[in-house]
Amino acid sequence: MTHTLHRRGTPENLEQDYVIFSMTAKGFNERGSRGALEEFLRILAKYNVANVGDMKTGNRFIVDKEIIFQNIQDTSIVHAVFTDRNQVTQALRELKEADLGVSVTVSGIVEHVHEACREAGLDRHTVEYSVGIRGNLARLPEDEILEVTTMCGHGMVSQHLVRQMIIDIKKGRRDEREAAELLATPCVCGVFNPVRAQRLLRELAEIWCLDEV
Amino acid sequence: MQIDAVKCIGCGQCRPYCTMDAIDFTRSVKGNKVHCTVDEEECVDCGICYRSGVCPTDALFQPLHDWPRSVRGTFSNPLAEHKETRVPGRGTEEMKTNDITGRYKQGYAGMAAEMGRPGTGARMRDAEKVFKALAQLGVEFETNNPLTGLLLNKQTGEMNPEVLNEKVLSAIIEMLIPLDKVNAVLETLDKVATEIDTVFSVDLVSKVALDDTVPTAEIMKKNGKWFSYNGKTNVGLGHLRVKGGIAQ
Repeated sequence: MTHTLHRRGTPENLEQDYVIFSMTAKGFNERGSRGALEEFLRILAKYNVANVGDMKTGNRFIVDKEIIFQNIQDTSIVHAVFTDRNQVTQALRELKEADLGVSVTVSGIVEHVHEACREAGLDRHTVEYSVGIRGNLARLPEDEILEVTTMCGHGMVSQHLVRQMIIDIKKGRRDEREAAELLATPCVCGVFNPVRAQRLLRELAEIWCLDEV
Repeated sequence: MQIDAVKCIGCGQCRPYCTMDAIDFTRSVKGNKVHCTVDEEECVDCGICYRSGVCPTDALFQPLHDWPRSVRGTFSNPLAEHKETRVPGRGTEEMKTNDITGRYKQGYAGMAAEMGRPGTGARMRDAEKVFKALAQLGVEFETNNPLTGLLLNKQTGEMNPEVLNEKVLSAIIEMLIPLDKVNAVLETLDKVATEIDTVFSVDLVSKVALDDTVPTAEIMKKNGKWFSYNGKTNVGLGHLRVKGGIAQ
């Protein structure tokens, strides 16, 4: 159902992980909406965002931001990743003021988003919860790996790439930031949070032995 | 996805990108060259190894597949747009535009089983098992969802048998139910989960009530069921007069 719902993590590390995104409704308000979607993304990009992207074009680690803006279409879904709750509140205030008419969704800790809405003077419309994983759980990688891979809900960030990055960091082939930004590249929508990934990778590289990777 | 054995130099750069761990090394028949190969039975045609651009010799290529193999790419590659929904990815607009569409009304919940998420992939035969279990509850499967389009019978949950062996990165069983059925759906999902060889993630949506509570959260708390502190919130900014838009 969704590409940003099932981000796993602790309340502490999810505190730096919010995705604000927008789209319009087919058959209702889609036609001619590309300008409003572009304005939405330009408003968000002024903040200290960790990533921006549009499924139609890619994320800022594979395409220049200006090209992402220029390629926005009526059917685009445009995203920006925030790492700071206060900036989420400020951005929501600004979006309310801009009154673009496009639907806006915020992924993140639901209570924090609720507070941000209250402070921005917005009434929440609909809430979706992640209710866990079922089935053959033995097929899943470790929770620590899932905290990184689930930041791309489409599953484009492979657990093996994460493991490779941990090995590379441990062997000094690249630093945590380079590794985190490389992991952001397969997630075309731009919802992967490389700032949070950098922190998670640093922790994993410190506590995992090479034979655990 | 396939790899041109002549071009491939066996560097293995593409291997960690594979979402299904379906790329391996092999030796040429004469034994004088190592190259990479894709296990096409396990490959879901997501295309990420190709798009990553890491192959130094352009040895990766995506053949155009006929039905039913073609469903792998359309459900696994997020750049593929389903012609029915015009939404890229695997789902629908669901709650993301509920402030406009009113898809989820007071008294109802949206639920979904995201087959193969996170990261394991799923055979359609496992999706059919879940469809069939849910169909017995009389749930309403989302018409606009591309996976629903593969059902032969919405009342029984039977899928087109041609696709059952196809493997996809994920596919979403999406349904609309009255709030009083949330528990029954969860219990059914718990039961059928023991019968499948993959995983699925469960979603639960509802419109915020007039007193600013979330009805589905109240149901989960009342019944002692776990749900994440993480989620998605439609903040209600959408309306029909989009700035610069054309009236529809």
